[in-house]
Amino acid sequence: MNQPQDKPPIGPMEPGDLPLVKAPDSIWISIETTLDAKPEPRGIGTFRWQWAAASLAVIGAVSWYAMRPSPPSWAVSTLEGSPSVDKIKVGEWLQTDASSRARITVGSIGTVDIEPNTRVRLVAASPTEHRLTLARGEISATVTAPPRLFLVDTPASTAVDLGCAYKMKTDESGDGVLRVTSGWVSLEWEGRESLVPAGADCRTRSRTGPGTPYFADAPEALQEALAAFDFRGGGPDALATVLNQARVRDTLTLWHLLSRVDPADRVGVFNRMVDLVPLPSGVSREKALQLDSATLKSWREELAWKW
Amino acid sequence: MEMVKRAFLLVTVVSGAWGADFSLAIGNPVAVARPNGVVKKDIGFAVRGENCADVAAIQVAGTAEGVVDGARRSIPLRLIAGETAGTFAISHDWPQQGTWVVSLTGHCGNATASAVVPIGRSGFIRESSKFFPRAATAAEVESALKTLTGGGK
Repeated sequence: MNQPQDKPPIGPMEPGDLPLVKAPDSIWISIETTLDAKPEPRGIGTFRWQWAAASLAVIGAVSWYAMRPSPPSWAVSTLEGSPSVDKIKVGEWLQTDASSRARITVGSIGTVDIEPNTRVRLVAASPTEHRLTLARGEISATVTAPPRLFLVDTPASTAVDLGCAYKMKTDESGDGVLRVTSGWVSLEWEGRESLVPAGADCRTRSRTGPGTPYFADAPEALQEALAAFDFRGGGPDALATVLNQARVRDTLTLWHLLSRVDPADRVGVFNRMVDLVPLPSGVSREKALQLDSATLKSWREELAWKW
Repeated sequence: MEMVKRAFLLVTVVSGAWGADFSLAIGNPVAVARPNGVVKKDIGFAVRGENCADVAAIQVAGTAEGVVDGARRSIPLRLIAGETAGTFAISHDWPQQGTWVVSLTGHCGNATASAVVPIGRSGFIRESSKFFPRAATAAEVESALKTLTGGGK
């Protein structure tokens, strides 16, 4: 064996050429000391604090879970059929079968009757918005609340309560009809709005939204022509039938048509309206034909005395 | 004679100013319960006074006159003032059962007008309503009620 040298060797080493070096005694002492050392026992006080902290955490979690605010919900009562739920929470669906009817109490502002084969979902139940989705079927709503607090969405419209009672029916595509029995409802969808007063109906169609309102006792020919105009591109022929068949109270329909017909046809609608009900003083012909919103509003308010 | 003519003319002018042509008009409930407006009530229909110089002074009162299960009934009605002076909402204070007409009397100064409005299943029946330039008589109210009971809508 070669003797150890002061400098590391240069170049490859042959087996047996590595020098042996003795470890210093201090290393061995340190190792022996560590192996012989016993773990220090934890203090009783430390253990108690940890247990108390863990207990408090568990108690806090349980208390929070038990006392956490429940999601808003509305009471549900059975009108017909077998009872299965007594309330509906935000986000939940309620569905009736062919022999069931239910009544939802809408917070403190009214009720919604759910007819057979109907599916609804509670979307919002807050102080500023009460909202349902009607996926399909029929509901009857009676609401006493400030305007625009209660809303119902269908696939092709949103019914905005303006202080009213109404029935709404829809299928899953959005085809349906709204019938107002008290007050007003605004039927809205993608920028299109129909104001539907008591005694009037309004159809909805998928991809089109709300049609033009008409009184339920309007002549059948008017109703058919109006549906053709609204949803089947009925054009001038359909419009002519509506104008010819219109009675005094059908100025509700004509008032809505003013802003829905082609500009070239607007004068015809206007003329028919004033034939039925003389233009009120303070309502300008020019501004009405220009669809001035304030003018149309004043005119509608006066026409309502004839509806 | 000239003095008489002038006095007569003065009386005529004064009467016109107060509302010699004063009348009542009825309308859809929304004529008063306007969108984005009046507090919601259970309204039967709307009424307003017309041809009155001082619309703010118009007063209207009414009763529902009906027959329920063969018994004659009379119910005082609440009238809620609308946003526009001289307009009122007639509260639907009569029950669904039975046959009913609403008798309204309005005043504009010394002028009086009235309306007798039959009520059908769908609400007030405009076509059958009668309007008078004075207070309606009991016989006129009973006649309207009898017609409704016999012909019904």
